[in-house]
Amino acid sequence: MWIVDKYIEYVKEETQKNPEQSFDKILLGFKANKMRTKVLPKGGLAKGYQKLEAMMMSLVADSLGKPDSYVWGNIFAPCELMQCFDLATLSVECLACYLSGYHLEDYFIDFAQSTGIAPTLCSYHKTFVGAIDSGTVPVPQYAVTTSLSCDGNLNTFRYLEKKKGVPFTFLDVPYEDDDESVAYLADQLKSFVGELEQRFGKKFEIEKLRRSLEIENETRQLLMEFFRLQSERYYPGELISHLYLMMGMHLMIGTPEFLELVRFLVEDIKNYPPFEGKKILWVHLLPFYQESLQHYFNENDKYQIIASDIILDSVEMLDVKDPFTALAKKIIRNMYNGSYAHKAEIVGGLAEHLHPDAVIQFCHWGCKQSAGGSLLLKEELQKKNIPMLILDGDGIDKRNSHDGQIKTRLEAFLEMLDTLDKDSQRGQARQYRDGQSDAKRQEEQEEKVC
Amino acid sequence: MLGYICKYAPVEIFESMGETIKRIEPQVTNFTQADMRMHPNICSFAKGVLEEVMQSDYDGIVLTTCCDSIRRLYDVLKEEFPDKFIYMLDTPRITKEAGIALYERRIRDMIRAYEEYSGKTFDEEAFAKLLRERDEEEQLAVASGRLNIGILGARANEEIHRILESQGAGAAFDLTCTGLGRKLLYEPEAVMTGYVRGLLSQFPCMRMEQASGRDELIRRYADSVDGIIYHTVQFCDNYAYEYAWLKNWMKKPMLLLETDYTKQSEGQILTRIQAFLESLGSDRDGAAKQQKSDRQMKGAEKMYVMGIDSGSTSTNAVIMNEIKEIVAFSVVRTGAKSGESAAKALEDLLLKAGLKKEDLALIVSTGYGRVSISFADENVTEISCHGKGAHYFNPNIRTILDIGGQDSKAIHLNEEGEVKDFVMNDKCAAGTGRFLEMIARTLEIDIAELGAIALTSTEKIEITSMCSVFAESEVISLIANNKEKADIANGVCHAIAGKAYSLLRRVGLEPDFMMTGGVAKNPGVVRAVEEKIGAKLYICPEPEIVGATGAALYALERARG
Repeated sequence: MWIVDKYIEYVKEETQKNPEQSFDKILLGFKANKMRTKVLPKGGLAKGYQKLEAMMMSLVADSLGKPDSYVWGNIFAPCELMQCFDLATLSVECLACYLSGYHLEDYFIDFAQSTGIAPTLCSYHKTFVGAIDSGTVPVPQYAVTTSLSCDGNLNTFRYLEKKKGVPFTFLDVPYEDDDESVAYLADQLKSFVGELEQRFGKKFEIEKLRRSLEIENETRQLLMEFFRLQSERYYPGELISHLYLMMGMHLMIGTPEFLELVRFLVEDIKNYPPFEGKKILWVHLLPFYQESLQHYFNENDKYQIIASDIILDSVEMLDVKDPFTALAKKIIRNMYNGSYAHKAEIVGGLAEHLHPDAVIQFCHWGCKQSAGGSLLLKEELQKKNIPMLILDGDGIDKRNSHDGQIKTRLEAFLEMLDTLDKDSQRGQARQYRDGQSDAKRQEEQEEKVC
Repeated sequence: MLGYICKYAPVEIFESMGETIKRIEPQVTNFTQADMRMHPNICSFAKGVLEEVMQSDYDGIVLTTCCDSIRRLYDVLKEEFPDKFIYMLDTPRITKEAGIALYERRIRDMIRAYEEYSGKTFDEEAFAKLLRERDEEEQLAVASGRLNIGILGARANEEIHRILESQGAGAAFDLTCTGLGRKLLYEPEAVMTGYVRGLLSQFPCMRMEQASGRDELIRRYADSVDGIIYHTVQFCDNYAYEYAWLKNWMKKPMLLLETDYTKQSEGQILTRIQAFLESLGSDRDGAAKQQKSDRQMKGAEKMYVMGIDSGSTSTNAVIMNEIKEIVAFSVVRTGAKSGESAAKALEDLLLKAGLKKEDLALIVSTGYGRVSISFADENVTEISCHGKGAHYFNPNIRTILDIGGQDSKAIHLNEEGEVKDFVMNDKCAAGTGRFLEMIARTLEIDIAELGAIALTSTEKIEITSMCSVFAESEVISLIANNKEKADIANGVCHAIAGKAYSLLRRVGLEPDFMMTGGVAKNPGVVRAVEEKIGAKLYICPEPEIVGATGAALYALERARG
């Protein structure tokens, strides 16, 4: 992989020297990687995760190659509506991640901060703003964002509209879950469709949306099945595999290709051996570059991330008869919307269904909505006797995440899980022994009586 | 009594029900409760509100869905005080009819919940009467004979207003969260709808969809003032976007001021505001003053003045004569008490100059300890003094990088040596002299040697951690991996340069450049900064006395009236 590293280093240097002239080189690297994921997938990965990586790489490389073929979004933007216009959605979070593949996140973050953007802002948003504001990445025709979960969305898109002239639709997601909120958001979704019709000169077909939601329902059910199977079987993945799955569930949900992929995951995992190790339910983002976490969770048969809330943040079955209302409900009932009690309830539900040994929440730098509720979630899970570890770090900026500190916490937590396990085994053995001696005592007594 | 925090909160509803409702203005000394119940990386205002509510006796709190931190604050308060009226009011971001209809509905739900909680009844007629009788509050208060400052950005606390007044300036407007007078609409046919329309049509905050319309309003307001304080709150990121945008076109001088709602940060706020007002004052009457002092210089009598810069690491003092010659200077280490170190520096300096204290016409102090120097006649911030001092040593200097013991700053000067813009880092040790000291100790080398050793480096090592504590452990790991001291030292110098560069960029990177402060004596850092900016740094023979020299120049000007 020497050539790959050299190319990454070359692109990084060129971008820092001439940000406005390096996009072709960045794109070339993405296209080459797309080929690589298809022709030469990572050997240790389960087949489904290999396919998933290839699909996500294609989404990014193909979209960026054709600026008219996509809109910017955030991770919660309703990609189903864009699909009705044959448009892809590239989110802030996913673009930032891909650019960090060139180790450019620090340059973009510093660029954004030097213009006055707050250092305490989410690093995904800073990377994205820096990449666009520095002129490195070209801009699309249009963008869409929701207010769901993250304060940065509206402000990032408004800032880039002013600086780079990219108009956008803002979808205001109410906090309360009731009929008024649903109608309020459904109306906004309809207006948004009107906007897309006008901008892209295409007629909206409601049947296309209905079909998309049907596929979505099926995909979500299959994904739940996959999570269940992943709690039973060892299916080698990487930290980043879960991010790819999150990307798919947010940017490609409703497409036949993604449905096929999830179907493949469900079938393929059945060919893998049973999983005997510790099952982890992951909450929030995954710092895919962190060495210690990679060591424990990349293709490790002792510890497996069986599911993550960011992949299945919405558990809503969609009523295809009324697609706009259905989409509005899906967004409003997303576990990242509303109170933290709502989130704790859905995470608790996932835990009851999948029986993880532990939950790990990663508090990503700058993400207040997630960090602020972490202690509440821990209390909730304690009530269910599920141990939870809170890790602080940064999903993308290595300078905000100290591997040594994460390693110590993680290892201590895993040791604690092993101890708990031994205790419970000892407890079971004692119960068994106690049970046996009770039976023996009873027999003896019965004999005496006789 | 109820508490509220947001201007979109319908406080008049509660008032019409006979309830007292108070705006929460946290003034705390620590975030102990917040760190235990929330997370350290939550907005300081939200943490401050939590501390305040835990200490006070509110019957309830009315919050709005204004941002992520406040949403989580609600969750924590709700759990902490299940018996109080902790209410989250879902506030739309869209102010068109759909938003008004939804908000009216939400407010009516809130009224019902409060009636149930309190046993009180909402009477729409009493509410209408209250609205009819309320006078519109004043929004703009420009006064003559003082510097008029506008405040923008995130919620500004009373402290900023108080400091402005204590410095002879005043806030002509405050467009931050609850700074504006309330805008009440009374529509007789639809009282509640009119009221809600009024609430949502207030000057929009950054969470609102129509906040893009802020630009025009800000432009209009800004025309009436001498300068703008742009306030942000630590870990509240929304307003920094607007600051970054306004910097592109706002012609008025603008100070970015970050606060964290703790009492401890008051000293830092004071320094920044004072320096800003000094720069505005020099803008206003700078030219006239310059001519006047030049005229007086020619016929001046023999005179000595002193400038003393009380920093965290060293106390530096300069005695200057009437023709702006430095007669003597002294650099002493600042001990535990800055006043005592200053007295020592004074004694040392008088001895060197062969003068008595009575010979000094005026003493001006500067630096963090400037207010603790009892023998000083006046004090000026270190920002203005560094500007003046740098201009004295080299009039071509437009950008100064000052790295001191506990802070670092970048200052942009005009051709007269007046401060046009500045940024400071005094929140964390990274990028300061203290950081270098810490690393030198870890490397077991003398701080004076660190720079020279760095110059002999052969392997490039990157220190990635932004926090000095993390960086120290990173250095320990590098030592454990048998990396050479020279390479580690060079990596550390580059880390400092990286921090410095981001400060310099924020003031514009106009050449020529100068570096001041004790760290300017470190050749490793100097080389790393020069590489980063692609230009040479001018360093005067005694980089530590630039601030004190500036203070002496101020003393000279003032001694001559």
